[in-house]
Amino acid sequence: MSGPVAGIGLAVVIVGLALTTFLTRTSFLLAGSRLRLNYRVEVALRYAPVCVLAAIIVPDVLLHGAAAFDFSPLNPRLLGVLAAGLWLSWSRNILGCLASGMLAYSLARVLL
Amino acid sequence: MGIDGEYRQLVTGNNERREAFRAGRRAILHSLPGAAAWGVISGVAMVKGGLPLPWAILMSLTVYAGSAQLAALPLIAAGAPLWVIVLTGLITNLRFVIYSAALRPYFADLSAGRRAALGFFMTDFTFALFMRHAQLGTLPDRNRDAWFAGVCSNNWITWQVCAMAGIVAGSRVPTEWGLEFTGTLALVALVGPALNARPVIVGAAVAALVALLVHDLPFRLGLFVAAIAGIAAASFMDIRLSREPPADAASTP
Repeated sequence: MSGPVAGIGLAVVIVGLALTTFLTRTSFLLAGSRLRLNYRVEVALRYAPVCVLAAIIVPDVLLHGAAAFDFSPLNPRLLGVLAAGLWLSWSRNILGCLASGMLAYSLARVLL
Repeated sequence: MGIDGEYRQLVTGNNERREAFRAGRRAILHSLPGAAAWGVISGVAMVKGGLPLPWAILMSLTVYAGSAQLAALPLIAAGAPLWVIVLTGLITNLRFVIYSAALRPYFADLSAGRRAALGFFMTDFTFALFMRHAQLGTLPDRNRDAWFAGVCSNNWITWQVCAMAGIVAGSRVPTEWGLEFTGTLALVALVGPALNARPVIVGAAVAALVALLVHDLPFRLGLFVAAIAGIAAASFMDIRLSREPPADAASTP
């Protein structure tokens, strides 16, 4: 894989993200009242964000630039995500979630 | 009505709008700490995820959608094709289409420019607050757009100021601290609380599993294959569950 997106490419990405965000946010607010949201479409739209985020997170945690998946229980990124998930299961405080995740990740990187 | 009457109506009308705007700003005060935390986190994640400082500021100001920005970061770092990154952001934002449809009846009589402006500043936080007040019947009878503008302005200012603080602070922290991992953790914090029902849990699990299986596809297309598989699984289950009568319906007296 090539290096990170930079320069003009980054400008294109930011403009693209800004435009698509604006279009989704204003879609039905600007559409005429003839347009209606179909029930099945609405159900699919409701699940789209969580599904795409899950599909980003899991390979990113297990792979992260390496050639093969790292399923080892000692993978610091995996330990960090597990700690963050544990925190979230009893508190919605996101700062605590990030702190516990970073703590587990850093300890694993230093000690293991 | 003479000039005097028109003038008086204009002044009281403006005062009413200003009062609605102020009431909106007050209504969101209690959720501003949450907006502040997310702002800082997105800011830190953007610079630590490898965006140069001016680009991180530009992205924060123009996109103003934490989840889409956080989703784009690992793809930007990996040098994924540009259209793949933009399409991923679009899918992350699809929930806004539902919000937008829910808000339309309340703002149908506004000009297109005002509807577009309210749409641009609408977020998960501000939408949820608006709908909660709509259900409780605590929205103002008139000038709802001014009330919502008050809600959104406080949220926007808080988020942006904190994102800038996060960007500047993050750029001063040494890379060895590994703070780029906060981006991944923030995505976990977005997904975690959403996993509150069977269809969405199954959908996320299917998406994650398929993402691992088809990771070798070129141009990161595996991401979309996985997302579509997850959406299909979750939607199928949701529609089936909603057809069945609730399990405890028979036992309820």
